Amino acid sequence: MAPPQEEVVAPAAAPKRPVGRPAATPPSAAPSSPAATTEQRTEAADDGAHPVVLSISGLVKQFGDTVAVDGVDLEVRRGSFYGIVGPNGAGKTTTLSMVTGLLRPDAGSITVQGVDVWQDPAEAKRAIGVLPDRLRLFDRLTGSQLLYYSGVLRGLDPATVKSRTADLARAFGLDDALGRLVSDYSAGMTKKIALAAALIHSPRLLILDEPFESVDPVSAANVIEILQRYVANGGTVVLSSHGMDFIQRVCDHVAIIVQGKVLAAGSVDEVRGTGTLEERFVELAGGRKSAEGMEWLHSFSD
Amino acid sequence: MVAQLLRLKLQLTLNAFRRSPWRLVGLVLAIAVGVWIVVLASTGLVALRGGDPEVTRNLLVLAGSAVVLGFIILPLVFGVDDQLDPRAFSLFGLPNRTLSAGLLVTALVSVPSLVLAVLAASSVVTWSRSPLPAVLAVVSAVLGVLLCALLARIATSISASLLSTRRAKEVMGVLGLVLIIAVAPAIIALTTVDWQRDGFAVLGRVADILSWTPLGAVWSFPGDAALGGIAPAIVKLLLTAATIALLWFAWQAFVARLLVAPERLGTGRDSTGLGWFDLLPGSPSGAIAARSMTYWLRDPRYLVSLVIIPIAPFIFFVPMLVAGIPMNVLALVPLPVVCWFLGWLLHNDLAFDSTAVWLHVASGVRGRSDRIGRLFPVLLIGIPLIAVGSTLSILFYGDWDALPSMIGVSTCLLFSGAGIASFVSARFPYPTSLPGDSPFQQPQVPGSSGMSAQFLSLLGTVLLTIPAGWLAVLGLTGEPNWNFGALAVGAGTGILVLAIGIFAGGRVFDRRSPEIVGFASSH
Repeated sequence: MAPPQEEVVAPAAAPKRPVGRPAATPPSAAPSSPAATTEQRTEAADDGAHPVVLSISGLVKQFGDTVAVDGVDLEVRRGSFYGIVGPNGAGKTTTLSMVTGLLRPDAGSITVQGVDVWQDPAEAKRAIGVLPDRLRLFDRLTGSQLLYYSGVLRGLDPATVKSRTADLARAFGLDDALGRLVSDYSAGMTKKIALAAALIHSPRLLILDEPFESVDPVSAANVIEILQRYVANGGTVVLSSHGMDFIQRVCDHVAIIVQGKVLAAGSVDEVRGTGTLEERFVELAGGRKSAEGMEWLHSFSD
Repeated sequence: MVAQLLRLKLQLTLNAFRRSPWRLVGLVLAIAVGVWIVVLASTGLVALRGGDPEVTRNLLVLAGSAVVLGFIILPLVFGVDDQLDPRAFSLFGLPNRTLSAGLLVTALVSVPSLVLAVLAASSVVTWSRSPLPAVLAVVSAVLGVLLCALLARIATSISASLLSTRRAKEVMGVLGLVLIIAVAPAIIALTTVDWQRDGFAVLGRVADILSWTPLGAVWSFPGDAALGGIAPAIVKLLLTAATIALLWFAWQAFVARLLVAPERLGTGRDSTGLGWFDLLPGSPSGAIAARSMTYWLRDPRYLVSLVIIPIAPFIFFVPMLVAGIPMNVLALVPLPVVCWFLGWLLHNDLAFDSTAVWLHVASGVRGRSDRIGRLFPVLLIGIPLIAVGSTLSILFYGDWDALPSMIGVSTCLLFSGAGIASFVSARFPYPTSLPGDSPFQQPQVPGSSGMSAQFLSLLGTVLLTIPAGWLAVLGLTGEPNWNFGALAVGAGTGILVLAIGIFAGGRVFDRRSPEIVGFASSH
């Protein structure tokens, strides 16, 4: 089950990434000023060369009586390929929505590049590229119109957008599809065009919610390569996924979120310890139910 | 060169006879119908020689305009098979001018052009009552045939190149929309005419207007001269000549472009084509305007809501007719009602995006840019509509003093309606049918918040228009100077409310953007 060691790839990117573990200190001690950022950096000082790009502290979101996110603290450093895993309904999407400014938190703070997302959203959003999960696209546009639209809304000039559209289309294998309406795309192609739209303004930080759901393996491999080169050049990727194997293979850091809390965070090797990430995850999530009470399933009805 | 192209054209026409017997039958039938029309119409034209000159002129202008319009519309709608497509000659390296001229001459050798040529020649007989009109009629006939051939030639190439793709639907959608919008008030206005009493007078007025457009000018100047109007005749002759010159240059440019543009494939693949995005500025509000426009034309939910525009006036017509309000006063009703609903259409625009609105929020688009962009389709339809519609309304009302009032009240309704909608759609969105669902499938609205948003935006627009409307009533019933007051107050109120609506709606959007995404996600 465990993949051979050489498969833990982060080519070009240094295999040892700075540790992005959750701040052990109470969230109130992590305000958004640059001074505090420096403090945190020294705290995690083993190789603190990379500044913190995304810092989440004490994040809380409640829907009615349900606490979806319950005091999440995370710190992501520049050049990380950061995976967030968790069972269904653990609060991954809720957390990422609050980071991208799509959902207002009840408490806590989020800073991107030292800018508070909820104090100065316009400035913070400039640095973020977003791929949300389960939200619609303007799918009555053609692929090229959607990319153009995404770029121009981000303030790029039309000429830049057009040349980047061509590059992205080639990289994502969407050349033949650009003239078609996005509503006619397959699920995987829709994901790819949305991902391309998230990249078009060359953000510092990419927040990708389930980026590879229903994307075919060849496209996924291409996209992963693009993202790895992006990370190697100083970009930062935060993504959520159900695929443990995938996270272990691709990400250098991982956080395990269960019931709105971060149960483990750090480099992939730290978190998984001696086993695989999947084993560690199942252990932490405590999701293994004994199969008792299902005997009827074994007494076949015919 | 031209001779060779002509021979090619004749050969192609003759070859059509060889293809299949049914085709031959069709062609013979077409020719028979053509001959029959020619005989009938040219007899009529010759007979008109003795008719009342004014009626004759009006009839010729009306019929002639219809013919010119036909030469434009028929190739577009029926997509004539273009045998002499300029692109077929792209490999021969012909000088553009020669090719353009040659293809134009071949266009003259077609059944419709020949029919038209015979009829135009007959019109020379019609005007041969005195020397000057006769000379002008010869010029008119030559220019008229040339104009129609040029228009047909250009329309055919447009249909064969630009309209062969899926984008054709979009283009035709715009054309259809424009036609409906243009025709609806005209038909309403026509129903208000007492044909028995003043049918001829109305036709005369329509002919007068047409005679100043490129459609009718070419047929009108011999008649104008016969009626003694030498100056208008000369102006219309120049207008026609200018139109033809313009079309000739356009045709040359079009041929030049077609020669280097590869034939479009049926897939609609078009690397440069961003549609409205190419036409509008590359700023956030420009892009949002282009996106809105694209959606208005592609998304059936918007198209359905547009249907209300031509229907709305009738809802007001019936009770007013029953109340015995005079016909010419009724002519004042359609335009303001249409403007009222047109501005109001935006009041739930944000909800139409559904969750796709996340893109605006995540991109940090300023609320103001979002509001301005969404206004674009409504203003693009509304402003020309007011320009044309107010003129038409007053034409049928009959008192030009009322024109400023008409413009003022309509502008006030459109702009303040759009202003209120800019605020309401950001602050009080209510659930609507989802993208891709049937536009007629409205969700249940809990707590009737949607009803109140609809009703209050309509009501608010009317309340804001009361001052301008009151001044307009004063102007219509008494002192005509009040009409200018209505214009000033109406336009002023409208622009002010629109500015406030954009500002306030933009602020709401900026502050409540997460709540807007939340609203969209929960429905």
